[in-house]
Amino acid sequence: MTSTANGTWLPLFGLFYAAVTLYWARLAAIENRNTETFFSASHSLSPWITALMLAGSATSGWFLLAGAAEISSNGFGMPALLEGGIALALPGVFFFKRIWFVAQRLRLSSQVELFRTYYQSEFLALVSALIAVLFAIGFAGLQMRALSHLISLLTSGMVSPLEAGLVLSLVLFGYVAIGGMRAVGYLGAFQTILLGGALVGFAGFSLHATGGFGALNASLQALARGDETGTRFLVEGVIHFSAGLGRDGGLAATSTSVASLSLAMALMGFQASPLAAKIVMSTRSANGFGAAQTWVLAGVFGGLIAFGVAIVGAAGLVEPQLKVTGMLAGLVIGSPWFAAWMVIGLLAGIQLLAGLALVTAGEGLVRNIYKPWFHSSLSRADTVNITRVVIGLLALVSFLMQSLTPVTLSALGAVALPLAFQLWTPLLGVTWLRWVTRPAAVTGVGFGIAGVLLTEPLGYQILSFFGLELPWGRWPWAIHSAAWGMAANLAAVLIVSAITNRQSFGEEALEVRRFLAETLKTSARANSLRSTAWSVVLAWLFLAVGPGLIFGNYAFGEITPKGGAWHVGMPSIWAWSLLFWALGVAMIWFLAYAMEMASPHRLEIPAYEPRPRLLPNRSAAEGERLRILFISGAVAFALIVLIAFSFGH
Amino acid sequence: MSPTQNIDRGILVFSIWGAFGFLGLCFLLEGFSEVSYLVSLAGITLIVASFVAHIVVNAVFNQGFTSGETALGIGSFGILALVFVIGWAEGGMPMANFFAGLTLFGVLAAGLLVYLSTRYGLRGAFSRFHVKQTVAPEAGR
Repeated sequence: MTSTANGTWLPLFGLFYAAVTLYWARLAAIENRNTETFFSASHSLSPWITALMLAGSATSGWFLLAGAAEISSNGFGMPALLEGGIALALPGVFFFKRIWFVAQRLRLSSQVELFRTYYQSEFLALVSALIAVLFAIGFAGLQMRALSHLISLLTSGMVSPLEAGLVLSLVLFGYVAIGGMRAVGYLGAFQTILLGGALVGFAGFSLHATGGFGALNASLQALARGDETGTRFLVEGVIHFSAGLGRDGGLAATSTSVASLSLAMALMGFQASPLAAKIVMSTRSANGFGAAQTWVLAGVFGGLIAFGVAIVGAAGLVEPQLKVTGMLAGLVIGSPWFAAWMVIGLLAGIQLLAGLALVTAGEGLVRNIYKPWFHSSLSRADTVNITRVVIGLLALVSFLMQSLTPVTLSALGAVALPLAFQLWTPLLGVTWLRWVTRPAAVTGVGFGIAGVLLTEPLGYQILSFFGLELPWGRWPWAIHSAAWGMAANLAAVLIVSAITNRQSFGEEALEVRRFLAETLKTSARANSLRSTAWSVVLAWLFLAVGPGLIFGNYAFGEITPKGGAWHVGMPSIWAWSLLFWALGVAMIWFLAYAMEMASPHRLEIPAYEPRPRLLPNRSAAEGERLRILFISGAVAFALIVLIAFSFGH
Repeated sequence: MSPTQNIDRGILVFSIWGAFGFLGLCFLLEGFSEVSYLVSLAGITLIVASFVAHIVVNAVFNQGFTSGETALGIGSFGILALVFVIGWAEGGMPMANFFAGLTLFGVLAAGLLVYLSTRYGLRGAFSRFHVKQTVAPEAGR
């Protein structure tokens, strides 16, 4: 087949994809009645659409691009990756049902509004909006960048990464700006199915290329017998007291069980993020959350990760040319239609995340920050139109950073998940732990952010810019920044909650507490299982992603340079991960249904009507606020330049 | 059917054809390219499975094919059949591909007839293909 013929299929499939996105964007715009329900699809998305969206956006292209690459390069030393489906599903079981109930009661549309209403904290509101921006620009931008390069490679350079990125960004901006959250929702279900298909396709072709599952594992066994490569199938100890990556710790030093546990924590950040909250609050019923978390995310997508992504990674480990990029490059020569189909699946997964992030960030910045702070008289139509402009700007910034500043983009993308994980404490305060006070939640998140930034390249790049050098590198002691942040966060929350007034909450927060306590009262049977639930979760965390992983090294046999065998024909740690993926699905089911944390609950929820309050004319205060913002911005800029000029390098 | 149900049905139909239908098309092309009847058969099976899934979705939402879907389906069938006939007439088509093409069109045609007869009954299915001349009562006066 000629290269021209090969190059036809990807644009053809891409055209089909673009046509589908614009078709659904148009339908969504009609349903939106222009601007009326742009932000939350009138809270009417079907539960099954939500289920698919939650799974697709949580998985996105990350597992295929970054997860498989990690296994291909460093082996199976980070089993938390394989437990990704369970780690992603766990927070949803804790939070979604209760968040949905609170949102319905108070008629909320976003996480920003949730924090503002419950904690009356502008700081938490701003943090939530900025995390959405980080996802939109950094996390999704990184994946878009990888995809643009992949497309350029597959078209033999006929399309440059810049051109590919531009087209992808235009399609993305087109459907998000036209259809808003409704288009993101409608397309999300379709995109998730395509992503799932692509994951199966990649795994299938990896098996085909390596000669089947048996042959792949025979090659892995040969690697395990090597002196240098044998450690790729082991979790090397519980903790490694290194100064962090970039100081004295290489990538190999991260394959400890504590590193694995902390990575699982980072993955748990996604469903605490404003993106997941946006999906939850746009849903018409809470009855699907149990099935969504148990069967769709933990079951199907968890299985695709534990089997599929692991197979793709293992194929790359055995033969480096079978890494995702290499495999597609080979496939495009002989079977360009399959390569195109899989690239479109990957594109769908990435655009699902990017579209959701854009609409959440746009709403956060304009409707939740700009409007209440600076322009409360803004009409609905103007709010939507300004949001569209902001979405365009965010897409443009992300696109430019993909091409011009990939290092900064990578630094921004790396903090999105760990920062989102810091929102666990305020979310726990809203949903379960009534003793988390407002000052505690605010201080905790502040400390958590500091913990994350001080252990990530973004933080020490900023400090280095000002002339301060930290003595540690990225992820000291091979512990992910998500865990460092949470350690600081949790410590602050516990201390501050202990010393501040636990009754000092606003009217809405008190209503939320009363409403949740009355409507979501757990049954006697669930209460009797509470200690069992704690034991099950802690045991799973310990054995599946924590220090107990050490048992996984040898539980199903051991291969060393001297000999030995794997009893189930595959690396022991992989078999261990598969076992705990299956047990993890059972655990999620137990929590969701038996413990009633995400079980269906039919109830008509009337809107809460607060006491009437006088609304003063705020235009003078808003103008003053805008003036202060400009002045402080200018002063801050001058100070930054001065300090950087004096001490920076 | 409510607008929400209509939307849900549409998303399901797009998902089915986007994932399984296109995968079937890929297998079919691969089969033709590799001259392998078995690979083509896998593609045909997936396309038929998509067709069946589409019918199941229609049944769940208590709806038939929309006019757009019908037009697209018959149009695609016609174009594919035309391409196949031209390819065969030009000569040089391997027997495996010839039989794969026959299988595809045979299965799809048979499937369409089975669908119509089960949905509308034998007489009703026939009635779908001819237009009754309706004469308004006033026309003869």
